[in-house]
Amino acid sequence: MLKKQHFPFSQRLQQVFQLPTKLIPTCFIVLISFTLFSCGKKFARVPINIKVQSEIDINTYSNFAVLPFVSDKNTTKLDELPDDIGPEIAQILRSVLGRQKHFEVVNKQETDRIMTGEVIEDGWLTDTERLSELGQYFEVKGVIVGSYRFYTDTRPRRYYGERYSPQQQRYIMDYQDYMQKTYLLSLRVMIIDVDTQKIIWDESYRQSSAEAHNIGSFVFSQMAPQQTTMRELSKRAVTDFTRQISPHYEQEDRFLMR
Amino acid sequence: MRKIYNILTLSVLVIMFTFIGCASHDTAKIQAYNQFAIKTAQVGLWNEAIYRWKQIVSIDPDNAAAHNNLGVAYEATGNIQEAEAAYQRATELDPDSKYFRINYRRCRLHIRRSGAESSDKTPKDEEQ
Repeated sequence: MLKKQHFPFSQRLQQVFQLPTKLIPTCFIVLISFTLFSCGKKFARVPINIKVQSEIDINTYSNFAVLPFVSDKNTTKLDELPDDIGPEIAQILRSVLGRQKHFEVVNKQETDRIMTGEVIEDGWLTDTERLSELGQYFEVKGVIVGSYRFYTDTRPRRYYGERYSPQQQRYIMDYQDYMQKTYLLSLRVMIIDVDTQKIIWDESYRQSSAEAHNIGSFVFSQMAPQQTTMRELSKRAVTDFTRQISPHYEQEDRFLMR
Repeated sequence: MRKIYNILTLSVLVIMFTFIGCASHDTAKIQAYNQFAIKTAQVGLWNEAIYRWKQIVSIDPDNAAAHNNLGVAYEATGNIQEAEAAYQRATELDPDSKYFRINYRRCRLHIRRSGAESSDKTPKDEEQ
């Protein structure tokens, strides 16, 4: 009669550890699963709002007068652009700045009233004494002036793509020539401190937009009025400027560890 | 003699498993809190996330990830000085983590940009 053998616990453990052949697949599976688990991302990216202060002292410069922008003297004047585009840029700037709670802007009617009889020219941009005097009439801390340069750049381009050829019954490489017309606006904005007669801000903002034309549409686009494009680019440039001088929030990523 | 030896081995194992169990319970709790806090943070419930990460810190004060995450939450809620302190603690606890360092660096840049920088900082602090 066979008697069932009883081993002490330690011996049983020893027996278990003496069976590496059985443990190898288990260990392998455990290792793979650990590796797979650790392959998962260790962090989570979250966007947070960051407060960005104005680049000027908004406590000092809280009210502005915006004078009509002048055409850059270095460029030839484009015939298709009307003369009132400078005042129009100024008006866009007034409306965008006026929406900021930190700033007060002299309205168009008041500006026109005080500027009656004055013709704003390139020379004004450097005459800070005169601008400062004007600012005192307006009873503001800062006078915003500037110039614009609007021009187009046209280049022939080639677009490569694939098209289905019925003759060859397969997709073949093909290209198409077109004219790329790019509208460019360079807007220079200056802020003059009325009290000190110093230029406290002088930055240029470049904006562009491009469109594709064939020969026919290109000819038409040359004759078409360009105020709408100009206005759109001005809005973007003015928004960039306003963003820099007013406190705002920006989104930035941070890493949360899992 | 053998019986005594068996009982002793068993009791040692029981005690060992109890300790490991307790420790793993804490780890599991921290993991669960952290996962939950991250989910709440991702949907913008930062105060809830702060509460959870504070709990983690109270369980394990040397948990660098919790300090880092707490820093992110403080920064998101506008408590920049507390955020900076939390990031600093995280980088002290785990200086090798590039994510902690990135967060800390960005936070200091944020302080500079928002104008909330305290005037009592030394140039040495600025360089770091």
